[in-house]
Amino acid sequence: MSKIDLSGLQKYTIMFVLLALMVLFSFTSPYFLTVRNITNIITQNTYFIIVAVGLSFVMIGGGIDLSVGYQMSLVGVVTAMMMVVYHQPVWLAVGVGLLLGTTLGLINGIIVTSIRIFPLIATLATSVIFQGISYLISQAQTYRLYPQEFLFLVKGSVLGMPFDVFLTLLIVILASFIYSETVFGLRVMALGGNEEAARLAGINTRRLKISLYTICGFLVAVATMIMIAKADTTNSSFGPGTEFIALTAAIVGGVSFMGGEGSVPALVAGVFVLAVLGNGMQLAGWGTYAQYIVRGVILLAAVAFDEYQKNLRLIKRKS
Amino acid sequence: MTAEYIVEMKGICKRFGGIQALKNVDLELRRGEIMGIVGDNGAGKSTLMKILSGAYLADEGEIYVEGRRVHIRNPEDASRLGIVMIYQDLALFNNLDVAKNIFIGREFSKGPLGLLLDKKRMYRRAEELIQELRVDIRSPKFGVSQMSGGQRQMVACARAIAFQSKILIMDEPTAALGVTEAGKLLSLIRSLRDRGLSILLITQRIPDVLAIADRVFVLKGGQRQDVLEVSKVTLDDVVTMIVKGKDRAGEKAPVVEYQSFG
Repeated sequence: MSKIDLSGLQKYTIMFVLLALMVLFSFTSPYFLTVRNITNIITQNTYFIIVAVGLSFVMIGGGIDLSVGYQMSLVGVVTAMMMVVYHQPVWLAVGVGLLLGTTLGLINGIIVTSIRIFPLIATLATSVIFQGISYLISQAQTYRLYPQEFLFLVKGSVLGMPFDVFLTLLIVILASFIYSETVFGLRVMALGGNEEAARLAGINTRRLKISLYTICGFLVAVATMIMIAKADTTNSSFGPGTEFIALTAAIVGGVSFMGGEGSVPALVAGVFVLAVLGNGMQLAGWGTYAQYIVRGVILLAAVAFDEYQKNLRLIKRKS
Repeated sequence: MTAEYIVEMKGICKRFGGIQALKNVDLELRRGEIMGIVGDNGAGKSTLMKILSGAYLADEGEIYVEGRRVHIRNPEDASRLGIVMIYQDLALFNNLDVAKNIFIGREFSKGPLGLLLDKKRMYRRAEELIQELRVDIRSPKFGVSQMSGGQRQMVACARAIAFQSKILIMDEPTAALGVTEAGKLLSLIRSLRDRGLSILLITQRIPDVLAIADRVFVLKGGQRQDVLEVSKVTLDDVVTMIVKGKDRAGEKAPVVEYQSFG
């Protein structure tokens, strides 16, 4: 009897999980599957998706960036102060914010490749540095009352959808295209798959790694703009914690913690799995604290599953 | 520098901290020959070849390729000179398919500034290479992670010849293979030589060298001992040279029950 090959379905696992969760929560709460609730889930997660996409470049390239939360904190207060305290035009404030985010990513890349310590430790250290700078600059103050032009990010619409949703969609499509259709995307996969082999194949791995952290920094800055516009306020505590959600979503979405694997659509599904879980639990009356526990367990399970799959492939090859 | 040799390495020295890995080593590779590089563990075989392939920098010495003095500072420099090394651990990407493994680092590109992958051309050329080499690989879209050791070696060979490399360095290519797969690979190496490639074959399996090489280069303790014509030596001669070196090679040879050296 011939066997049915189900290996192709593996990459859709996360989509099935998302679907199953939606079905489950539609039974636990009548409000879950309403247009309003689904729209909320999408619009509340645009900046998480953008951060996760940024992080995916670093992670697929074999690295990690734990500083994205405090990058957001620093970029957020600087952009807000430019608009609210120094009354600079919106385009300049946003430009400075994006440039700052890109520079923070560049600094991470240079540190990781120059000192050659684990990126986990390096970015944990820079995270604390960014935190310090953010609080030093903001003096722990809160900034609000942004100009209306800035709020276009979340209140404006393009092609019948909120501008931030449109922007997120654009970034997701562009990132998918980069991974699957460009020389750069292939080299990122190669770098994460086998860094030494990539070097021996003539790829400038140092320059490539730095560019990945820089792209991540830029996308994190874009996400920050949406985050502070959505809240219509910011202070230095806005941003931290995002790294955990983005990291969990990336791994749940199949981005390997070891590098070399991942796809953007699955990553987006990963973000929505966490979002749907949070939303569904909220509607079921579970509260915020229980969600922390569930998220932690999910991260552990996803990393364990990633490791298990790696070992399984190794055993298959040896047999 | 004579045109007879495609590669000449002269007075190569390399130290790692307090250890002198290579001491004043000269090597000459003829055009279109297979030269075995043999020696005990730590003799300096891989170090010498890594210098030629750009993975290591020599502390002293000169390298000539086709009679021209060259400076090989990295694998890219070596690649531009037509030198490719297939490493013992194969340096393949388990997360990529056959075609991508063959062309990574030198991808076919298209579009503005050559930013886009020319996948169609890449897969077509990979398919042609698989057919040319008559290797046992079903499709260029096949994942390398699911392949046997022999198939992976063949992907590495296809990668080496994809860009008209002139000099191919292979590090212990048959070490992890069974008898059948090793036999297939040795045939492939011969066919690569027949296509005009000059091949340097690092190995501890002396019978492999005697089966396909034209000459054997013997290293001991980081120093060149001798270069032997395969047609004029026996297995014992080579093993004696490896064990005792040039100065003591005239002494009575050890009794060797030979299966695999090392």
